[in-house]
Amino acid sequence: MLAQKLHLLRHNFLSFVSSRTGSDLTRRQYDVIVVGGGHAGTEAAAAAARLGAETLLITQKITTIGALSCNPSLGGVGKGQLVREVDALDGLCGRAGDWAGVHFSILNRSKGPAVWGPRAQLDRERYRQFIQSELLSTPRLTVLEGSVDELLVSQPNPEEPGHHRVTGIRLVDGSHPILSSSVVLTTGTFLSGSLFMGQTTSPGGRIGDVPSCAGLSYTLKETLGLRVGRLRTGTPPRIVKESVDLSLAQLQAPDKQPTPFSFLNTHTRCKPEEQLPCYLTHTTPGVETVVRESVHLNCHIQQDTKGPRYCPSIESRVLRFPGRRHQVWLEPEGLTSDLLYPQGLSMTMPPDLQLRLLREIPALHRAEIRTPGYGVQYDFVCPTQLTPSLQVKSTQGLFLAGQINGTTGYEEAAAQGLWAGVNAGRTALSLPPMALSRTQSYIGVLIDDLVGRGVTEPYRMFTSRAEFRTYLRPDNADLRLTPRGFEEVGCVTLRRYEKAVSVRDGLQEALMALQSVALSSTRWREKLGNISLSENKSTTLKCSIGSGLWLGHSDFQRHVPKPLLHCLGCVLRIVVLPCH
Amino acid sequence: MIAVCDAETIFALSSGHGRCGVAVVRVSGPASSMVLRNMAGLTQALPSPRTALLRRITDPQSKELLDRGLVLWFQGPHSFTGEDSAEFHIHGGPAVITAVLQALGSLEGVRPAEAGEFTRRAFHAGKLGLTEVEGLGDLIHAETEAQRRQALRQMDGELGRLYQDWGYRLKRCLAHVEAFIDFSEDELIEDGVLNQVDSSVRQLEAEIERHLKDERRGERLRSGVQVVIAGATNAGKSSLLNTLCQRPAAIVSPIAGTTRDIVETSLDIGGFPVLLSDTAGLRDSSDSVEREGVRRARQRVEQADLTLVVVDSTQLPPDPQLVPAFLQEHLSTVLPSPSPEAGMEAASDRVLLVLNKSDLVPEEQRERTEGELRESTGLPPACFLSCYTSTGLEDFLTVLQSRVKTLCGDPLSGAPSLTQARHRAHLQQSVQALIQYHQYRDQDLALAAEGVRLALTHLGRITGRVGAEEILDIIFRDFCIGK
Repeated sequence: MLAQKLHLLRHNFLSFVSSRTGSDLTRRQYDVIVVGGGHAGTEAAAAAARLGAETLLITQKITTIGALSCNPSLGGVGKGQLVREVDALDGLCGRAGDWAGVHFSILNRSKGPAVWGPRAQLDRERYRQFIQSELLSTPRLTVLEGSVDELLVSQPNPEEPGHHRVTGIRLVDGSHPILSSSVVLTTGTFLSGSLFMGQTTSPGGRIGDVPSCAGLSYTLKETLGLRVGRLRTGTPPRIVKESVDLSLAQLQAPDKQPTPFSFLNTHTRCKPEEQLPCYLTHTTPGVETVVRESVHLNCHIQQDTKGPRYCPSIESRVLRFPGRRHQVWLEPEGLTSDLLYPQGLSMTMPPDLQLRLLREIPALHRAEIRTPGYGVQYDFVCPTQLTPSLQVKSTQGLFLAGQINGTTGYEEAAAQGLWAGVNAGRTALSLPPMALSRTQSYIGVLIDDLVGRGVTEPYRMFTSRAEFRTYLRPDNADLRLTPRGFEEVGCVTLRRYEKAVSVRDGLQEALMALQSVALSSTRWREKLGNISLSENKSTTLKCSIGSGLWLGHSDFQRHVPKPLLHCLGCVLRIVVLPCH
Repeated sequence: MIAVCDAETIFALSSGHGRCGVAVVRVSGPASSMVLRNMAGLTQALPSPRTALLRRITDPQSKELLDRGLVLWFQGPHSFTGEDSAEFHIHGGPAVITAVLQALGSLEGVRPAEAGEFTRRAFHAGKLGLTEVEGLGDLIHAETEAQRRQALRQMDGELGRLYQDWGYRLKRCLAHVEAFIDFSEDELIEDGVLNQVDSSVRQLEAEIERHLKDERRGERLRSGVQVVIAGATNAGKSSLLNTLCQRPAAIVSPIAGTTRDIVETSLDIGGFPVLLSDTAGLRDSSDSVEREGVRRARQRVEQADLTLVVVDSTQLPPDPQLVPAFLQEHLSTVLPSPSPEAGMEAASDRVLLVLNKSDLVPEEQRERTEGELRESTGLPPACFLSCYTSTGLEDFLTVLQSRVKTLCGDPLSGAPSLTQARHRAHLQQSVQALIQYHQYRDQDLALAAEGVRLALTHLGRITGRVGAEEILDIIFRDFCIGK
């Protein structure tokens, strides 16, 4: 399968570069144009195409499609739920994570299944490969390398609200406009982005990439009159693995048995024993000294643009909570990479001081930096100007997703991208827009928070944001979303739908079978271990669909009552409700 | 709290209806300054805020003089509603009031206020908390001195502060549990955080429960003490009611069984509100109407805060030594059998014996009986009284007043009391939810957190909603989160 994919990839690449660039385009009209090839853009393009819309994805550099610009990981507490939901709606990131993951763990295992956080460290190369190969083999989807100069707008359709209607885009090279019914902008940090390192500032959204042109920013602000704000973020230096003394750090092993993100996968590509470890180490008082000495050389930190409180640079952590030991995770960048990613050490001071700071940490005392850390400041569009379908209220057919809406994180971007793509596709196909409720999904919570409350700092998902957290579990995302995604939304393929339906029916069957078994509470306890049951002579279990809190217990599988044998697979997703 | 920006300007007569010396018309909203300029002929600057100015008040269209009166200007946010406001203090005749209200209504963008709208705007602007709003409502409706004191105290925000404090502590508990759920895997959040939450939750539970065990004093003061007059037929119950309310509210006659239904009247006793009910005399009767009256009487006695058991003194045993036992026996026929939890002591706190028709008993026998009753234990206080001559009324009123006062509590001392059944219900649900926290604490932290969330939601029904952002603010203030 791998070989096939790679072959496909190479094949597509070659044909793509030769035939699908700039003016060679055969089409001049699409249903949906997606600008940007990050997590939001790729999900948007794939979703619109799944819906049946002729879709064009425009990106500055095809080779950076699906690039992980910052941390080499996916999922986590709250974010893992988003990945599962994107997967349940047939998005890409869950399967990409299963393909690229090199270290899987479920966070919060001791805290109740609603807040379990599926997470994986990723191989950057594999992730990119997967996403690119998926996109390039998606029917109705064309990928184009280019830079968008201008958004084309015209008079609005008078029957719908709005002051403008989007009609397409024009590329920088001045060629003919490319027309479309909807446009999804997923420009990430590239909207008037500037990079910061020490006292130097340069325009750009990611190091090594050319800055986006100012035209798009101008259209949004001046032509469409959208309110924009400015946010900042940062990334740590990448460290040469060989230069790190890992014996001075604490080894963090992955789960023995990796759990896939995707409901379609039964196992991950990476075998359990092939997984790579992470390492944990801590800052020292010396780190604080370097930060204090470098403040005057650090223009990113001196500015008062809002950065995230929960993913702060080491500078702001030290300045806000002085005298503390801060955690630093040393994460693998991939199976063949010679780099480590120091999670927790995002910094923007001059490179020589970055090196001095790193070397204050025992495990990094002779560390070498491959690429230094830097900060980014970028424009975002105040998301209260969007509808719950992620369309700009004032501009028919224009959708925004990802960091342009003031969020942070791959998962948040992917979730919005998928939903913006769905609605861009629906609009182009003359279907009414759709919204996800916050009572039914984390994606709904995310979008509702954005369009209803706006943002004051980069928005990240936490489980505490979901009022219906105990219901919005990572284990039931398929039951919550997949049937609806197929029947109502149209973004789910038949194959996935059939799988979800069979799981749903299997669960019901297992539940009924389980509830038909009456045993004495003593016998139940023999099978299930310490479980609170009423002391009736003969009792059936009170169960519900959840995640394997009790029945996933291996003891139970050994003693499983006969009528249940055939639905063992489903039994793993049933919980016995404790009696109080 | 998000300020709701009401574009409309509202007005209303804020003083009472009917003929009076001065009436106050209040205006609130962005057009208030325009209203003031147009109606009070102020072409230049507005008067300095909160200063009364005597002006000719004219119709803005016809320029006809409507009245001469005081006008006041309150610049937002320094006003009751937090918006720009104005007041017209005009003469209180109905014609003047109507003319001024009509003139106001003729202005563009100005409309009559809906009931409670000024207060609602004050609430939205964060000028008043929910408990303060309720206190304000109570103050406006306060009929007795003690009710006024309690309402004023609540409006001052004292009850609100107590609930706010609980709310704040509960928010912190939730924030710490949430921090533990969302961040403990990656961050330095120790297990100790949860142990602190455990003890905070326990303490909160205990405090709220103590507050709930106030015997409904505050609610009683707000809605009136239920005092029920009960006893055998022809003991003089209706006469007692008439004597207490100083008017012939109930029909009295020498015929046993005159009162068949419940007669209610409200009284102010020493500043405390009392809802006095007269009931049918308790006896077995073949008359179905009277039987229903007796059933209602018994039901009323069961719900009473205080029962006045009226006994015909002439029916007492002539030997004073036998009186205590007789009364004991009599009480057991009138009062519902005490529930096992309520001790005898509690029952005697809720009963007063009224020995009526004292004028028909020889003075010497009465004194000896009183002496006997003072010696005996286990009986509620007894007062000799003659509704006919009013002898003993003074002493009886003193005893009654002190009883009522105990039942309501002193609104000015100690912790503020619960004043509304609504608050009680939410606080009880809050405590229930906190119990859920402990039940699930070790099994499923997400379900345990749900308990704290639920408790906070119920408290929020009293103090105002708590959003996820507030919880996150506490998390980021208390912990260094970040990777």
